[in-house]
Amino acid sequence: MRLFVWWTALALGAAPGTPPVATPDREAAALQREIARNGWIVYSAITERGDWDLFRSRPDGSERCNLTRTSDTHELGGRFSPDGRRILFRRIGKDTKFNHDRWGALGQLVIANGDGTNPVAQGVAGDYPWASWSPDGAQVACLTRNGIEIRDLASGRVVRSLDRRGIYQQLFWSPNGRWFTGTANTYGENWTVIRIHAETGEANPVHKFQNCTPDWSPDSKRIIFSSRPANQGDDEGLSQAAGQKPDYGWTQLLIADGDGANRMLVYGEDGRHIYGGALSPDGKYVLFTRAARDGGMGEATIHVMRLRDAPVVGGVSAALRKRYPQAKRGPVVAVATGWEPHWSNGPAAGPK
Amino acid sequence: MRTVVALMWLGLAACTTAPAPADPELSSLGKHEVTAELLEIPGPFPANDLYNYAFVFKYRVRQVHRGSVPPGEIFVGHYNPRKPRAAAADEESGTIGGRVGQFRAGDVHRMALAEPLDHHWMGGIIDKYFEQKGTRYWAVWTNPASR
Repeated sequence: MRLFVWWTALALGAAPGTPPVATPDREAAALQREIARNGWIVYSAITERGDWDLFRSRPDGSERCNLTRTSDTHELGGRFSPDGRRILFRRIGKDTKFNHDRWGALGQLVIANGDGTNPVAQGVAGDYPWASWSPDGAQVACLTRNGIEIRDLASGRVVRSLDRRGIYQQLFWSPNGRWFTGTANTYGENWTVIRIHAETGEANPVHKFQNCTPDWSPDSKRIIFSSRPANQGDDEGLSQAAGQKPDYGWTQLLIADGDGANRMLVYGEDGRHIYGGALSPDGKYVLFTRAARDGGMGEATIHVMRLRDAPVVGGVSAALRKRYPQAKRGPVVAVATGWEPHWSNGPAAGPK
Repeated sequence: MRTVVALMWLGLAACTTAPAPADPELSSLGKHEVTAELLEIPGPFPANDLYNYAFVFKYRVRQVHRGSVPPGEIFVGHYNPRKPRAAAADEESGTIGGRVGQFRAGDVHRMALAEPLDHHWMGGIIDKYFEQKGTRYWAVWTNPASR
């Protein structure tokens, strides 16, 4: 009951000038029950000491546990291994400046058991930038200035490399190992989400103009990503409340096939920037973060919705509802404050 | 009479004043040093409130002082061009700088350049000339030059 009240309060805890996420409690409660035992999520959040630690919880926010408990470093970007038994993350010095889209190349890569025990640093600071698991968890793909480098974790050696095709951040290897996605400079625009074939190196755009934080569907066929379209025509009062320029717009969560086809809105809300899109291992649920300020890591809240309910438009969102008149209003469950969530149905408790 | 004398003195001073010494960064940073004319500004510069980026300009090379830059038109990426060069460097850019305060088509710049752009700046790059082949240079130091 306490948890139920907590997530309801979070869902209603909108910033000034923005109406709350309108989710009927009964529907949200049903969604909460669906996801409560459906694996684990890992995410970064600010502790009471002011640093960022890694947390693990059930997808509904229950059984929350601090995995790192460090006061002299930040831990960011936790990702479960494909079998769910390990996590990788970045350990960043407490005095290092970072923001929401450059943390992946900072500090050291650390690999630990899924419950945070036995953390082992890989290389030195700056090594293994934007490391992303291979399907078998034996290798990671890294994004360097020279290209995409596949590194064997046991030996640390680069076993293969290929052109990064303009990707400069947020590299992610597909679950089937056949593709990469990332945020790239291509086609005259930065912030273009692209897909690269892991063998041939051929690339295609998924969506151009102001996109980022792509991630894969479990079947490796679709890519979920954030996008801030131009000319949204939203309420200027919302922009003023968030301290942004009137025509800046709001970042929405989209999903598309790997070739860019069948693009659709997953979640959007005038007055909020939506990032961190990730799908549950069964592909049925969507994790995302929601913040009033673009790049507002510390204020972001993590939410879950069903993919089959998409598109969902939160809040009043007069402009967005005009564009998506058939969009649902939820249900959406608020899970916790945090950033860059990732979902696994593995045991999250370490090697066998 | 006093005014006339003062103006004459000022005029003489202006004629005899030596040009400002070249910044040592021009001759030491990057791989090349060129004087080139900025041919056009291909579109407005996005804001820098949250996101940093490099913006690619087209120049016509007038003189190569150091290195080997081909004659004719070249493409040069400047970091956050809304900012004066002296104030543009930050923890993401590495060493960049110079005395150019504002980018205007037709101006002539003396620049220290590195290449390729995406090895020196791994971040957003706005390149409106993406369909035109050619090296993208990274502007390390950018000073005004006489036309």
